[in-house]
Amino acid sequence: MASMKARILSLAAAATLAVAGCSSGGGGPQGEPAASGQAITMWTFKQSHATALQKAAEKFTADTGISVKIEAVTPDDVFKSKIQSAAQTGDLPDVLEAHAAGEDLELGASGLLADISGDVNDAWRARFLPSTTNAGVLDQGRIDRAASDSPFKTAKAGSMYAVPFTAGAFGIVYANKEKLTAAGLDPDTPPASWEEFVAALKTSTEKDPQGGGLSLGLKVSQVGFNWIYQPLAHAYLGKEKFQGLFGKDTTAGFGSPDGVKTLDVYSQITPYWMPGATTLGIDEADIAFAQGKSAYNVGGTFTLAFLAQNGMSPDKVLTFPIPPSAAGAHKDIVMAPLALTSLGVTATSKNKAAALKWLDYVTSPAGAGLVAKESLDLPATDLGAEAATLMGPELAALQKYFTGAPESTYDAGDTTFFPGGYDQVKPGDAFVRLSPLKELDPAQAGKELDAIFGAMWKSAE
Amino acid sequence: MASITRSPRRWKEWLTGWAFVFPAVALFAVMGVYTIGSGLALSFASWNGFTPEWIWVGLENYADLLWADPSLAPGVRRAAWNTLQVCVAVPLLTVLISLPLAMTLNSVRRLRGLLRSVYFLPYVTTGIATYYAWRYLLEPEGSINLMLRSVGLGSLAQPQGWLANPSTALWTLIFILVWSAVPTATLLYLTGLQAIDPSMVEAARIDGAGPRQVLWRIIVPLLTPMTTGIVLLGVRDSLHGFQIFQIMTLGGPGGHTNVLALETYELAFFKGLAPTLGLSSALGWLLFVAAVLLTLANARLLRRVR
Repeated sequence: MASMKARILSLAAAATLAVAGCSSGGGGPQGEPAASGQAITMWTFKQSHATALQKAAEKFTADTGISVKIEAVTPDDVFKSKIQSAAQTGDLPDVLEAHAAGEDLELGASGLLADISGDVNDAWRARFLPSTTNAGVLDQGRIDRAASDSPFKTAKAGSMYAVPFTAGAFGIVYANKEKLTAAGLDPDTPPASWEEFVAALKTSTEKDPQGGGLSLGLKVSQVGFNWIYQPLAHAYLGKEKFQGLFGKDTTAGFGSPDGVKTLDVYSQITPYWMPGATTLGIDEADIAFAQGKSAYNVGGTFTLAFLAQNGMSPDKVLTFPIPPSAAGAHKDIVMAPLALTSLGVTATSKNKAAALKWLDYVTSPAGAGLVAKESLDLPATDLGAEAATLMGPELAALQKYFTGAPESTYDAGDTTFFPGGYDQVKPGDAFVRLSPLKELDPAQAGKELDAIFGAMWKSAE
Repeated sequence: MASITRSPRRWKEWLTGWAFVFPAVALFAVMGVYTIGSGLALSFASWNGFTPEWIWVGLENYADLLWADPSLAPGVRRAAWNTLQVCVAVPLLTVLISLPLAMTLNSVRRLRGLLRSVYFLPYVTTGIATYYAWRYLLEPEGSINLMLRSVGLGSLAQPQGWLANPSTALWTLIFILVWSAVPTATLLYLTGLQAIDPSMVEAARIDGAGPRQVLWRIIVPLLTPMTTGIVLLGVRDSLHGFQIFQIMTLGGPGGHTNVLALETYELAFFKGLAPTLGLSSALGWLLFVAAVLLTLANARLLRRVR
């Protein structure tokens, strides 16, 4: 009898262990159990994620018996057209990685991604950095702001089409320590203010006119506007006045005295762009920085991985967020992390349970840490005190810019004050004409930006 | 009635004929008629490429592009102006360069084959790779600036690079488009020149015609069909080609090199999955109408010249 009990207990223990092995994160998906031996497919638009995901998949397969085939489809336009044609022919994979808080919602509202709100329980949602948790959830505000022909209008508020996967922030400055030293600047201390940053740029450019400037992929015109101006203006004006710049009421817009002042502060960097910055794409600007063609480079937290891939060791760079102006409302800039990519299960997937299990694993601390370490991309999963162990010290160090005073926190993911159908290329072009092209002065740029946003509000109506 | 009275043998011939042409007809029906029809229908709809249903909007897409949408129409008008400059400059410069080049090559006696190969080289290597190569040449520290500085023409060099200066960017792209088009045009002109009966030129010379008269009264009129073809190819490439603009400038700096074909592509693929495929299709059809009108105007003009 005792041996029978022992056998039952050992069987129960083995079953428990097997279940524990399958459910990695503690939250775990609800719904049908996934069978071992199943195979799922996943498409990602990021080449740098493919290898890391494949490594995570090997571990996942060893734990669960479910195999995962990862396919990278790049660049973005090819990824989009492949999804379009696969949707028409019914050949979508089980899991898609998409741009978070935008593309994932469009895909979901269009019927391509399944609503997984019932499968992602509270414990699972609690894993994520708070500002990223609801990136894949379509809320009523977004539905209300959408244009009348948007698929959001027919979707259900509260639907969750994806779970956040990678997170990060824009507006991170990377400085080449060797160049700073050569220019007589302190390679270990970031500038405390925008004015100090501009002065440092002046010094490094004077020391090395060709390779001492600031690189940024201004061929994609909106990056100067998004990555430098917006955090700078947010700190300068404070949240309320900053959001007012984009409003229907142009008396508080870019052409207002406050707005013009922020444009004036931004345009102080005009003499220090690296030569030809407007002809470089984002990756090309990063490569130029890695090759020593500029002393400073603006990117996001994700840029560290790309620089490392291009031969620039993370310990050779000093990182800091866009510094605030000393004359502004806030003397500190904190970057709220936003979900950059997310993972969704396709509505046509015949392996939904297995796909959810895979999502559960790659967003668990163990899975997310593994992918982050391999891809050098920050996860949306909060790794807490284990971050440095799981991701490595350089990547974990970037997370320090995510925390600080709430009033100083710039949340690039907050789009509630933009007009519906907001197109960032048009203001981006105006910013390029302000700096580096100098075709517009700050007052003219303010007027043009007000006209651009006025037109967007009008067409949204 | 004819089919009723067809003999069995005629029926067999008729069926055999159709069997031969059917693959081509079917292919055209699927790849041509269906896609053209579908594209035209899409221009009257709003769709993001994913939803099962299109939302019909009638002529709204056309109106939005031309005047109704204040955040769209001004950009389209600016792109149309840039496209017009490209459409006029590329065919004109191609003809002005390739005709004298072809005449020179035609008159060269030694190394003619080698020279033809050299001038045809840009065509062989043309495409995306050459656009990347040109980007390196046009950089601030690229070969073109280096060459200008080394021959004492440093004042002409562009410190920000040729593509970063709004006043040189579009014309630099036009120059590269012409560079790509000249080999084919030269080859066509060479073919045309070799088809001209030498006795006609000889007779004109005996009658006292000078080289200029021979050129304008004999050669240029006889080459008009070639010129028509070259100009049409140039207009077509200028209206539809967007690769060079996408790779080299992405419409920049500050929107100064945006053209309609690039705008069409951006509307289709770079609007964050917004339902802009209908707008993109409508712009494509507007480009088609512009191409037809330009072709007709051009054909009429050249007929008058002839």
